[in-house]
Amino acid sequence: MAVTATPASQASEAESGRAGIELRGVTKRYGGNVALREVDLEIRDGEFFCLLGPSGCGKTTTLNLIGGFVGPTEGTIWLRGRRIDNLPPHKRPVNTVFQSYALFPHMSVRDNVGFGLRMDGVKRAEASQRVNEALALVGLEDYGDRTPAQLSGGQQQRVAVARALVKRPAVLLLDEPLGALDLKLRQRLQVELTQIHREVGTTFVYVTHDQEEAMSMADRIAVMNLGVIEQLGTPFEIYRRPTSRFVADFIGDANFFDVNVDGSVAVLSDGTRVPLEGARTSGPATLMVRPESLRIGDADSAPAGAVPGRAVKSSFLGTRVRVAVHTEASVVPLMVAMHGEAQSSVPAEDAEIAVWWAPEDAIVLDSSRGES
Amino acid sequence: MAADVEILSRRGRVTRLALAVYGTLIYVFLFGPIVLLVLFSFNANRYGTFPVTAWTLKWYRAAVSDYQIHDAVATTLKVAGEVTAISVVVGTTAAFPLVRSRLRWRDGVRVGLVLPIMIPGLLIGVSLLVLFTGPLHWQLSPQTAVIGQSVYTTPFVILLVSARLQGFDRALERAAADLGANAFNRLRFVVLPLILPAIIAGALLAFTLSLDEFIITYFLIGTNITLPIFIYTQIKFGITPEVNALASMLLAASLLVLALAFALPQVIRASRRAVRFGTGRRAARITA
Repeated sequence: MAVTATPASQASEAESGRAGIELRGVTKRYGGNVALREVDLEIRDGEFFCLLGPSGCGKTTTLNLIGGFVGPTEGTIWLRGRRIDNLPPHKRPVNTVFQSYALFPHMSVRDNVGFGLRMDGVKRAEASQRVNEALALVGLEDYGDRTPAQLSGGQQQRVAVARALVKRPAVLLLDEPLGALDLKLRQRLQVELTQIHREVGTTFVYVTHDQEEAMSMADRIAVMNLGVIEQLGTPFEIYRRPTSRFVADFIGDANFFDVNVDGSVAVLSDGTRVPLEGARTSGPATLMVRPESLRIGDADSAPAGAVPGRAVKSSFLGTRVRVAVHTEASVVPLMVAMHGEAQSSVPAEDAEIAVWWAPEDAIVLDSSRGES
Repeated sequence: MAADVEILSRRGRVTRLALAVYGTLIYVFLFGPIVLLVLFSFNANRYGTFPVTAWTLKWYRAAVSDYQIHDAVATTLKVAGEVTAISVVVGTTAAFPLVRSRLRWRDGVRVGLVLPIMIPGLLIGVSLLVLFTGPLHWQLSPQTAVIGQSVYTTPFVILLVSARLQGFDRALERAAADLGANAFNRLRFVVLPLILPAIIAGALLAFTLSLDEFIITYFLIGTNITLPIFIYTQIKFGITPEVNALASMLLAASLLVLALAFALPQVIRASRRAVRFGTGRRAARITA
């Protein structure tokens, strides 16, 4: 069982003894709507932290609270042991890359990047050097004299990053910074951003609704839903050991079974008894298995605990074949992902088959949580 | 375009011709008198009408050397300058809450502030005259005229600046705040530069409107005279070529200011671009 942290987060754990940012019992209400509900959150110094969730889950509100653009209704916010929730944005050592970039259209790239230093009264020579460094960091040394309108979307995004980093903030906030870009460019900039993070060592707090983006970049992810943090952990933990149906469903694909747990066995709704890893408290629960953990085979050669079913449809998706399997154990067809050489044994449509999985790949979820 | 003409029916062609004639007539009606006025101002005939006996600049010379006209021009420019200053300051500051505040009666307040554009100048003039001379016991002067004209010109600035603010991306201000700019610096370095074209256009418009405003001024300026009032008093004794010359100059000045109002934003943008390209080229030379 690999619940241990990925190398990246181990490194950041070692570097930082204390919390970079801390939210203590933070609630944010807009009129009658609760955007954030008594959230406690610790973000470590130097880590790449992702706030992930569907729209309206409170992730952007959390970012705005740290940035100072809204104030908490209840609770306090701390940065390296200093309380900051009562400071206006321009007095916080925090800088933001906005979703729309918000570059000043009447200034050159150089003036945009240098704006924060000018506000701080940094001397011209030093400011100029730091602007050059920031532009070099994002690979835009030769674009200083252009205006934002003369840049492509990806270049504008880089300017926004340089502008926020030039002040050497304790924390860099990024509000869906790649949302407006096409897929290829987004993937390239994801790599660039993680490289920049490694280079500058600043704490990155990154808001996104794209789970793949969060998985590929973050040291740790907080999955949010309806104003609360559903789960906090490394990408690996969140994918392999989700603690709620919502998280399992939101991150990647998942098959769910309504089961009755009986000691170390789960009884599916079609009566199949599948072994579980370790003993659980008995009672109704939800069982989750990832599509790539499912195996398909002939009904007669299947091991004990296999679920009988019928292949409904198989779709070729390049790196994998997705097979939909109808069973008596769940209402919606099971999704099975077949990789590599397994692709050669894709069952024919309407073939009677069986589906099974290793006990450690089945996650028992409390069926009461995350149903919304 | 050519294809359009080819498939046009005979009746269509006649209709098109009729519309063209109609349009031309409207233009002649609108601008014919102005053309005549300018034409007569160069006419040596001292009755200022046809026939054109000879071309001359003497009416312009006479107008320029008339001390009464000097006074009138000085008063006009002074009033216009003050009106412009008041309109820009009041109009710009009024535009911000009108666009941004969550004022309860915001729409009502906006209509109220912009209403003077639609209220007859006569009404503004008479009501202010009653107020100034009655309850306030003020002496009528160019300053009272400035107040009256500002009532009328300020709404134009409000409208122009509001429109610009409406399309203003508030994220820019949040970004500036995020980068350490306090409220004053956000205004100074981000908001004002971006709404400057609207403020300049508003200023030039206010200046032009003030330049030839007659009704409100006539009620409120007392014994002083501005250029429009001077022309009016001259006309009472018959239209002289001197008046034609004066009116032509006023026309030229108004057109010039209006042209500036429309051209300036482009000029500013172009000069910025020129500066940028300039530095760019210099940078290129250094690296090369």
